[in-house]
Amino acid sequence: MINKTLYFREIKSSLKLIVIFIAILTLYVTMITGMYNPEMEEVLKEFTELFSEMMAAFGMNGNTATLLGFMSSYLYGMILLIFPMVYAIIRANGLIAKYVDRGSMSALMAAPVKRKTIAFTQMSVLYSGVFFLILYVTVLQLICCKIMYPQENIASDLIYLNLSLLFLQLFMASICFLSSCIFNDTKYSLGVGAGVNVLMYVLQMMANMGGNLEKIKYTTYFTLFSPEKIIAGDSFAVYAPFILLAGCIILSAASVIIFTKKDMNI
Amino acid sequence: MNIIEIENLTHDYGNNKGIFDISMSVKESEIFGFLGPNGAGKTTTIRHLMGFIKPNSGKCCINGFDCFHERCKIQEFVGYIPGEINFFDDMTGIDYLNFMEKYRKIKNGSLKKSLLEMFDLDPKGKIKKMSIGMKQKVGIVSAFMHDPQVLILDEPTSGLDPIMQKRFIELIQREKSKGKTIFISSHIFEEVEKTCDRISIIKDGKLAATDSTEELRNRHVKKYTVTLENEKTAEDFARDFSGIQKGNTVEVTARQSLEEIFLQYYGGGKNDK
Repeated sequence: MINKTLYFREIKSSLKLIVIFIAILTLYVTMITGMYNPEMEEVLKEFTELFSEMMAAFGMNGNTATLLGFMSSYLYGMILLIFPMVYAIIRANGLIAKYVDRGSMSALMAAPVKRKTIAFTQMSVLYSGVFFLILYVTVLQLICCKIMYPQENIASDLIYLNLSLLFLQLFMASICFLSSCIFNDTKYSLGVGAGVNVLMYVLQMMANMGGNLEKIKYTTYFTLFSPEKIIAGDSFAVYAPFILLAGCIILSAASVIIFTKKDMNI
Repeated sequence: MNIIEIENLTHDYGNNKGIFDISMSVKESEIFGFLGPNGAGKTTTIRHLMGFIKPNSGKCCINGFDCFHERCKIQEFVGYIPGEINFFDDMTGIDYLNFMEKYRKIKNGSLKKSLLEMFDLDPKGKIKKMSIGMKQKVGIVSAFMHDPQVLILDEPTSGLDPIMQKRFIELIQREKSKGKTIFISSHIFEEVEKTCDRISIIKDGKLAATDSTEELRNRHVKKYTVTLENEKTAEDFARDFSGIQKGNTVEVTARQSLEEIFLQYYGGGKNDK
């Protein structure tokens, strides 16, 4: 199903980007986890009230009195959504559309390797990268919590939360990959891949501000990943991420089919 | 036996761009030239042969396999030099060749080694930094290193210096003698004139002519009879201009180069058929 030689080459060329994103995520995750202090709650509350709308937009309005609540407010509202998403946008474009645009896809096509295999391989590279970033964040969070707050036991909740996050990220990556398979031009591949995901994020920000805008939440898939409600054990929120996983599988299949049928002027 | 079979192949890009109703066939162990100016549709035809694009109508096959739907089978025995060499920039030439070797699952690397020697190539540097000629050489090695039965070469000598061009022609002739079928597109007349058995000429996406190289040339031979003062000068004249002497007359022939023939098809000049 996948070509190992191609897979490892692409993983190798993903490394530089992965290292950069790991550095950014390490910085934010350790910093924000370190900021948690139940006694600071009052100060934070005042701050949140002062900038309530803006904080809400980034999902930073949850119950910050517990460690998990604090993390979900300050990490899962933006940092853990945006950075893996940006990684997927860049990589998805680089794995298919860029090769077709530049013509180097001809080298991959001028060999007895099925189009399906090429598409599956490149897709696996993309999803491996996303998976690795989330895995890294999870391990980092567990280590940070263990060192900084040894009395807190949040491992199983955190792992489920991150599994949900992984499904969301894979779904967003599959949108980017689909875009990369549809368009032969980097411009459009990047534009649509990034455009859809950023638009959906902005819609979620608007929905978060509440009031009349709350209804917007029905238009964006970010609603299917709701860390606050997952922690609270809301029955829909707990299972909603599986809808994202199913969506990812459907879009992935569509991407492969499109790639096997399309004309490539390379 | 026909190895490459193209029947009524049409691919319309709009604005009169594309290829229209192209039909031709290449026999086993033949060197076939595909001649045309830039933008005539050479690369579009080759993209069909390689299975990169689907025809709007018509079909093309190699060894009886459909070029688009059975691309994977065809690629087992096809070697290809793209018209524009765009490899992965981040790799060195050696990395690239090693990568292609593993990607294609080639076991025996001896052919690669002898090809590198033949073209004086030591591609240690990054492909991004290579000159066009160097890239072209890497492309040649990559196309020939799995000992393919059929070769599809899109302007293979572009960027090569004359010595390397000569060496490339030797390589092609050697492959032909091994029974390989070779399809060369070119806008360089000498290249196809020297090597090809038959030539197709394409113009604005339509085939203008297909003939053996010899016939194409003969069609454009002009004969002149020159009368000299005496037999002695006629003899000298015949020797200097490789003519045939009869008494004090000498018959000389002037063959138009393919280039001139070519210009007749394209330049709108009158055809002296």
